[in-house]
Formats: sequence, C-alpha cells, structure tokens
Amino acid sequence: MSGVRQVVGMTGDEAVAHAAKLVNPDVVAAYPITPQTIIAERYSDFVNNGEVDTSFISVESEHSAMSACVGASLTGARVFTATASAGLALMYEILYVASGMRCPIVLAVANRAFSAPINIHGECTDQLVCRDASWVSLFGESAQEAYDETILSFKIAEHPDVMLPAMFGIEGFIVTHALERVETLSKQQVDDFIPASRIVRDRFCPDENKTFGSLVLQDYYMEIKRQQEEAMQNAYKVTEDAMQEFSELSGRKMEITEKYQLEDADYAFVSYGATAGNAKAVVDRLRAKGEKVGALKIRLFRPFPSMDMFQALSGIKAATILDRSATFGSPGTIVQTDIASALYGKENVPSLHGYINGLGGRVLTLPEIEEVYEMSKEYNNIGINSTTDWVGYRK
Amino acid sequence: MAIVLPKVSVKDLQEWSKLGEVFTSGHRLCAGCGAGTMARQVTLAAKVLGDPMMIVNATGCLEVASTVYPYTAWDVPWLHNAFENAAATASGAIEAMKSMQRKGLMRERNVNMIVFGGDGGTYDIGLQSLSGAIERGHDFLYVCYNNGAYMNCLSLDTHIMTKDGLKRVTDIQLGELVYAFDQNTNDLVLKECSGIFDNGIKEVYELKTLHHSIKTTINHPFLTVQRSRKNYENKLIWKTLEKLKPGDEIIVLKDMNDGKRYSFKEIKISKKGDYKVHKINEIKLPEESNPDLMEFLGLYVGDGWTRPHKAETGFSFPENSEARSRLVFLSKKLFDLEPSTAHQNDVYLYSVNLARFVDSLDFGKGAKNKIIPSWVFTLPYEEKEAFVKGLMQSDGYSIGKSNRYVSASYELLKTLRLLLQTINYRVGKIHQQTKKKGTFVVYRQLLEDSTYGYVCFSKKKKPNINKYLSQAKQRDFLADNEYFSSEKIVSIEFIKEEPTIDLRVEDEHNFIADGIVVHNTGIQRSSGTPQGAATTTTPPGTVIPGKIEWQKPLAEIMAAHDIPTFTASPAYPRDLMAKVQAALKHDGPAFMLVDSPCNLGQRYAPDMSMEIAKLAVKTCFFPLFYTYKEDWVLTGISSRLAKNPDRKLPIEDYLKPQGRFRHLFKPEWKKKLIEIQDTVDEKWERLVTKATCV
Ligand code: SF4
Ligand SMILES: [Mg+2]
Repeated sequence: MSGVRQVVGMTGDEAVAHAAKLVNPDVVAAYPITPQTIIAERYSDFVNNGEVDTSFISVESEHSAMSACVGASLTGARVFTATASAGLALMYEILYVASGMRCPIVLAVANRAFSAPINIHGECTDQLVCRDASWVSLFGESAQEAYDETILSFKIAEHPDVMLPAMFGIEGFIVTHALERVETLSKQQVDDFIPASRIVRDRFCPDENKTFGSLVLQDYYMEIKRQQEEAMQNAYKVTEDAMQEFSELSGRKMEITEKYQLEDADYAFVSYGATAGNAKAVVDRLRAKGEKVGALKIRLFRPFPSMDMFQALSGIKAATILDRSATFGSPGTIVQTDIASALYGKENVPSLHGYINGLGGRVLTLPEIEEVYEMSKEYNNIGINSTTDWVGYRK
Repeated sequence: MAIVLPKVSVKDLQEWSKLGEVFTSGHRLCAGCGAGTMARQVTLAAKVLGDPMMIVNATGCLEVASTVYPYTAWDVPWLHNAFENAAATASGAIEAMKSMQRKGLMRERNVNMIVFGGDGGTYDIGLQSLSGAIERGHDFLYVCYNNGAYMNCLSLDTHIMTKDGLKRVTDIQLGELVYAFDQNTNDLVLKECSGIFDNGIKEVYELKTLHHSIKTTINHPFLTVQRSRKNYENKLIWKTLEKLKPGDEIIVLKDMNDGKRYSFKEIKISKKGDYKVHKINEIKLPEESNPDLMEFLGLYVGDGWTRPHKAETGFSFPENSEARSRLVFLSKKLFDLEPSTAHQNDVYLYSVNLARFVDSLDFGKGAKNKIIPSWVFTLPYEEKEAFVKGLMQSDGYSIGKSNRYVSASYELLKTLRLLLQTINYRVGKIHQQTKKKGTFVVYRQLLEDSTYGYVCFSKKKKPNINKYLSQAKQRDFLADNEYFSSEKIVSIEFIKEEPTIDLRVEDEHNFIADGIVVHNTGIQRSSGTPQGAATTTTPPGTVIPGKIEWQKPLAEIMAAHDIPTFTASPAYPRDLMAKVQAALKHDGPAFMLVDSPCNLGQRYAPDMSMEIAKLAVKTCFFPLFYTYKEDWVLTGISSRLAKNPDRKLPIEDYLKPQGRFRHLFKPEWKKKLIEIQDTVDEKWERLVTKATCV
C-alpha cells in the first residue's frame, strides 16, 4: 500500500479534517470560528456519516472546547480540537491546565489576526503568543504540511517522554482555504504510525480512586513545572525521530527546519508557515541575479530548535526574518528574539533583521520581499547587526 | 418520566452511614462549614446506589480545602479543571467514556457523574458552561452549593490588642472589644469582635518591619501608606500581603492609652485553723496592682517559681546581686514578709497564700513557658515600666543605651516585645540561639543544652516633630499621631503551612494584630449573594445597605432547560439524599441547588450552620422543592409550611443571627427589612400557587 501515492485536491482545513479522520480520535470538542470552520464542519460530516466513531462535542465556546478536551484526555481518550484567533485566546487559560495536567491533546490552529479591529485573515500572532504555555508548537506551509502535521502531532504529544499537548498552525485563508495538491496516506499507514492502544497513564475513570487537579502550593508547584520543562526538552528529540519515521512512511522529507539553497549562501531568509514559500520563490529570483542567498524554514517553534538555528545560520552574513505576527514594544519580532537568544554569544553568526509584515492577511509581494532583502544587506554593510522594521504598510 | 423521590428513613441513614465516607476527614474547610456536610450527604446518597461515581469539582472552597497536594479527602475518582468549566469538563469525561466503550477500550457500565460548583462558579462565571452541557444532554447531576459569596487569615500564635489587654487570637471571644484604627480620625478606638473563623491550614508568611513582625496568609489586608509626589495627596489604603513588598510602609501601633490599675481576682486564702493548717506565715496581699508589686512580679517572671504545696515562692538570685537586695526590700514592703536568704544562690519566700496568689496571675509555669498575661497590657505606664525594670534586674543587661533581655521562653519574649511597644520602646527582632550545657547565661550555669532567645530594646526619643512635621512625615506618615506610626517593611517570607484563624470587627473592619493594623478577611458578592447582605464588595454603606439585587433565580433558570431541578439543604439530610438519588437515577442532566451555610462569610458562630440552614427554609427564604417540566413539588418542611402558612417564620429570624445582615437592623434600614420580607412572601406565594405538596 505504501508504494502507491494518492493525490487529492484539498484546502488546508480539509486536509486537517481528512488527516484527523484517519487518526479517528475518541473525542473531538470544537466550536466554529472562521477560518477554522471547515475543519469542524468536515469532521462533523465524518461523524454523522459514520466514517469515524469519534464522540463529537458541539460545545458552546472555545473555553468549553478546551475544558472538555482536558476532561476527555484525563479519562484516557485520544482528543483533537481546532480553533483560531479569538477562540485560541479564549482557550488560553485552559491551555495551561492541559499542559500542566499532561494531556496530549492535539489542536489545529487556523492562524488568524486578533481583534480589534476585527479581521478574519491570516496572521500567526495567535499561536506565537501561546509559546510559554508548555505546548509543542509547529507551523505548516501548505495543505500538505497541514495534513502531515495533524498526524505527526499525535505521535509527538502522546510519546511517553513528552505527554504534552501539541498545536500546529496554518495561516487563515492563505492555507486554510486554498485548494492545493495533497498526497494522502492510507488508514493502514496511519495505524502503523500511531499506536492503536491508548496511552498508559493515571486516568480519571471509575476504577481508580484518584484525585486530579489538586491544589499545589509552594512546596511542590515548582517541581511539577520543572517536569514540564524536561518533557519539553524531550520533545525535540521525539519530534526529530517522529519526523524521520514519517518521512520514511510518506516518502516526503520532513525536518524540524527546512534548508533551501543555504550551503553556499552569504544571506538568508528565515520564516515559517506560508511565508516560507514566498521566501523560497524570492531566493530563486535573487539567485538568478547572482545573489548568494538561501532560505531557512522553521517548522518546530516549541521547543525552539536553537542548535539548528545556529548550525544553519553560522557563516551567513545577514539574516532577513519575515514574521507574520504583531508584537508591540518588543526588542524584535517574536521569532527574531528567539533566534537572537539562540545565537547570542556564538561566533560567526549573522546580523539579524526582523520584519513585521502581512498582518491581518496583508500580502507582502515578492518585489517587496526583495526590497526588504536589500535593506538587510544595507544594514549589515554599515555595521548594524540587529534591526526590526514594519514593512508593507501605508506610511 | 416524572420524578419519584425515594423514601429515606432515619434507619436508612443509620445503615448508610456504615458504608464509609467518600468525602473523608482531614479536609481543611473552616470548622462548622456547611459545604462539608453537603458533600458528605451527596456522595453518601450516591454511594448507596451502587454504581461507581465520579466527581468533577469547580475551583472553590470545597476543592481548595480538600486536595492540598499531596493529600486528598476524596475516596472516589475526582477531577478539578478550573473555576468556570466544571460542566464542560464533565462533558469531556462522559463523551470520552462513551467513545472508548464503543471502541472496546473501556468496560461498559453506568457511572454516576456528579459535578460540584460554588455560587461563583455556577451563578456567575460558569453559567454558560453549565447551560451548554445541559443543552447537550450530558448525563450528570450538577450540585451548586451556594454559600452566598466569593470567600477567601492570621496564624494561631498571633496576639491581638483587646480592651482586656493582649490576647492570643485563639482566646478572643465573640463580642469582645478589640482595639482598631479609626480611619476617619486616625485614632485608636475600641470595636466589637463580631466573628471568629477557623480558616484551616493555610500557607503562612512572616512580614517584618524593623520593630514588628506578624505571621499571616497571603491574602490578608494591611493598612499601607500610598505616597504620591505631592505630600498632601498621601493617603492610607488597604493592600493584601501579596501586593506588598519590602520598602512599602504599613501602619503599626506606637503607643497605647495609659491604662489603669488592675484589680486582682479573689483567691482562696488559707487561715490558721483551716483543715491541717497549724502554722502560717500571715502576709498582706494586694487588691490592686502597683509599681512595687509589678517590679516584684518582673523579678518573678525573670527568675522565679512557685511550689504551693511547699508554700514556696523561690527566686534564683545569687548573693550580693542587685536583684536579691531589691527582692528582699520589696517583699518586706509589699507583703510584710522576711525572705529566707540562707542559700547561696536562691531566695525563698514561705507563704502558701503568696504562692497561690502568684499562681493566679497567669504568668505560666516553668522557665520555658513563662508569658506576660493580658492584664499586664492594661496597666498604667509606670506599672508597666516597673515590671520591665524587675525583668531587667533578673535576666537583662544593658549595653550603652540598649537593653537586652534573655529568656528560654519564646512566648515571653514575644509578649515582652509587644508590651514594650505599648510604652514607646523600639524593639528589635527575637534572636534565638542554642547554648551548650555548662555555659553561663546571665549569672547561671546551664544544666543541659538549652535554646535561649533575646530581644534588644531602647527608649524612643520624642523629637519635636511639630517644627519639622512635613519632613517627619516623610519618614513616619503618622508622625503627629499619638498611637500609630508607619514603618517600612523589611522582608516578607514564606514560613510554612499552619492552622490559621481570622477575626471580624464591626465598623472599622480592622484590628491590631502583633502591633500591626490589619483588615479582616475578604468576602466578595456573587449573583448568589442575598439582597441586603454585606460583603467586602457590597459593604453596608450609609446610602446603600449591602447588596442591592435579589439572587439570580438559578433553580428556575436551570428548570427552564427542561431538566429535573431540585433545591435542598444539608439541614434536612433525608430530603437532600432522596433528591440526589432521584436525580442520579434520571437519565440525563439534573440540577440541584443547595443552600450551603458558611460561618465565615455569613458571619455566625461555627456551631450554628445547621440552625441557620433550617431558618432559611422555615422563613421560606430558601424553599425545598423539585420541578421537572410542568411539575412543581414542595417537599419536607416547605410542603408543611404551604399547608400551615401560620407556621412560616418572619425573615428576620433568618437574617438576625447572621452578621452579614446586622446593619439591616439599624432603625434607618427598617424599610429595607420590610422590602425583603415582601419579596420573600411574593416569591413564596408564586411558588405555592404553582406547586403541589408531598
Ligand atoms: S465556611 Fe465558608 S469560607 Fe469557610 S470553607 Fe466553608 S464555605 Fe468556605
Ligand atoms: Mg461561594
């Protein structure tokens, strides 16, 4: 079976729903929000047509969605949900409960800008600001990556060395609603990849008189939190291995960071999500003009792949970081500050030039990206090694 | 299917109680709290049904007090997620079990799911989650235990300034007058203590200023100075400990009013001719305190003991010491008694009546247990000074202007520190050290390894503050105040978890604990708080008497979801337990509103919970009933009251014993009382009209 590649045209949201269908989680609790809606709708179709035997809980809010997921996960179930923007913000309180109680819930995020002003389009701030919630966090560039990461996330989250929830994001409309070519997997392939048995853990179930969610004071709180950090550290290796295994299974190369034309490059783009596709296109255009430039794409955002950053960027003169997220009064863009921390004190590292762009679904065109690239080079030439600019807006 | 309440007899209760507790002892709810009674009744009723039960618990008293990690009071599967989402969490667990059972991943069986939420977690922040889960038809019994507010203390070794002197917080009685800070006049005033609450084991922190220290919980409020750049805008505001940091200034007691002589209690006096009394050293005993006597008692507290069976009051003052000569002088002057000074190290006074008298003064027995009793704090200045002089002659010494007093009794040092603060001394912290056997501690050689402590103190100078008032106020915000001053916090440190207690003081809502002005506990209104009730967010003001709104009609709201809805009271266990069983037997969601008496927030004595709960029912303020679709059925006492309306009690009977309604009984709020009675009557009539009786 694994030899035959099935290709289907799907939007990003559909790809997520179809991949989740193969996993057939026990419980899906979701509340609709644009641009995640198609995930919830498709999955409801599967449930009502008997294509899966999941319990679908039509909750009355995202807060209840995540709360029900925690209840279900602690009962021992495999759990999936999806949301976007304001919905993720409403879940925020319970995101910490989910990770603190070590619930391997998988959450698909249709990355969308925050209100106000209200806007329904693509922007990754919603997911990036959850960086400290102790969730494994991935980004996908395309419907294909959305499909793959749906399945992969269960593998990482449920790994006994991790046991943390995982979220992955695709940008609203740009990926969620764009029809793309997706290579699918067979049910058998997914069953081989994700264990049929449910995780072994203390469960909230009739046979075990156990207390979950107790009040933990100064005497134990920090130890429990420290264990979360260790799990997060473990998640790096687990993700690496899972991606390796997935690559063999699917025949598509999957890595924590993807390097494009970086071997001999003097300059680099760093990006994540859909922007990474544009960066690669610009690399091709610039290469044609004789520029020695490459691109680095981040797929795993938490745990942050610091060593990969260093290895990929060492020897580069200037890095142009394209960040589709808003942050205010920060020393750099959200991803830029992480990269800066990863490289700090190391030798032979590039100057870092962060660009806040594409907010609320705004398009940063290829010529604009070229301009931004020239700006980074200019900064580097005059010896400025860290800059952050907003680009692609009316001044 | 209509609801059928099973009959529960007293005999049933006796049998069931043998099944073993589900909500076990060792939880840390306040003593007397009705929530514990409620939880035991609900879980026991469920246990009787035989099917396994699972509990989801919203954040609140019941949850926090029952599962302090690594302990739990729950002998069933129990899950807490957050404050507002217990119903949604139960939804998740129910669906997870269904799904896994479908897939053969879990054994099929019926489970009784019970969800507990308080009024905050149900009436307010969790209402949406509850309504959603009920709309989805999730099969659980949601029990809302309404204690009428958001509830939230002092360590047991805290000392409180009262009219009768300094007392341990554990010895304060209801109605007793305690000192408080008048926030209008900045004066020291006496106010009545209207509530005492055992708050269970809580994390306790120690706050230290240069001269004071107090142990308290993190949410205890202190009176602090808020300084703005312009001096005239500085003001005093209450802040909880968690919002305080070193450098912040808090208000402390500097000086007390001059006290008055203390009249001693009568004691049994032996006379010659009494049974077995052939010979007696006749002495004259004082009726009131005086400076000489206080100096004598200072000597006694420092180095004395009594053995009444030997008629002995002894002092270990070596020959030629100043203390010995003072003692001899004072004994003759006070009691007309010649001490026996033959022994090289000890002095003995032989009089059975003297020994008895000294014993009656509550100074504690044995060097390690000595203490300064409360009456000493009520004395005039010069008597307190004389007492300190006596103490210093025994176990004290001076280094320059600083005095140091050494003792093996920590309590003595603690109370001495507080006493000194009432007579304008600066005192340092208590230092403790362990000394090896054989070392000399003030004149004497130790017979074994001992732990000793000492405090240093010196007289405060009275500067002429009026000349430099604004500068002085920079340092001490209340520099011109006779009784209080502000002091900077030096440190705040976590100590350990220990039992705590709290007081409530009328009007001023503050009191003086370990010399520091503190606020009583916080209780914030919820939409389950009754009209007119005082909480810390609906205080009884001069214009608005407590909470304005009537309670949200939660039972009716839930009933409108077309689910079996019950009200019940822990004061009527048979009614409550029958309803729990009927609710659990029903296939689908059910809701139960329980009136949960809370002595802390509702302000009555801890042994009154069930009495208060009964009054809520007997005044028809909280009727017992159940409803499902078109049926409305009054049960228990409520059913009897519907049949015999003349037995219904006036609402005042319910309101009066509760401190939270006390202000309503002032003449100016008489109108309010009538209004509340009218609303109760109107609601009750409406219910009786549509309900049948059992
Ligand atoms: S008495 Fe009131 S504050 Fe104390 S535990 Fe019970 S409900 Fe909570
Ligand atoms: Mg409450």
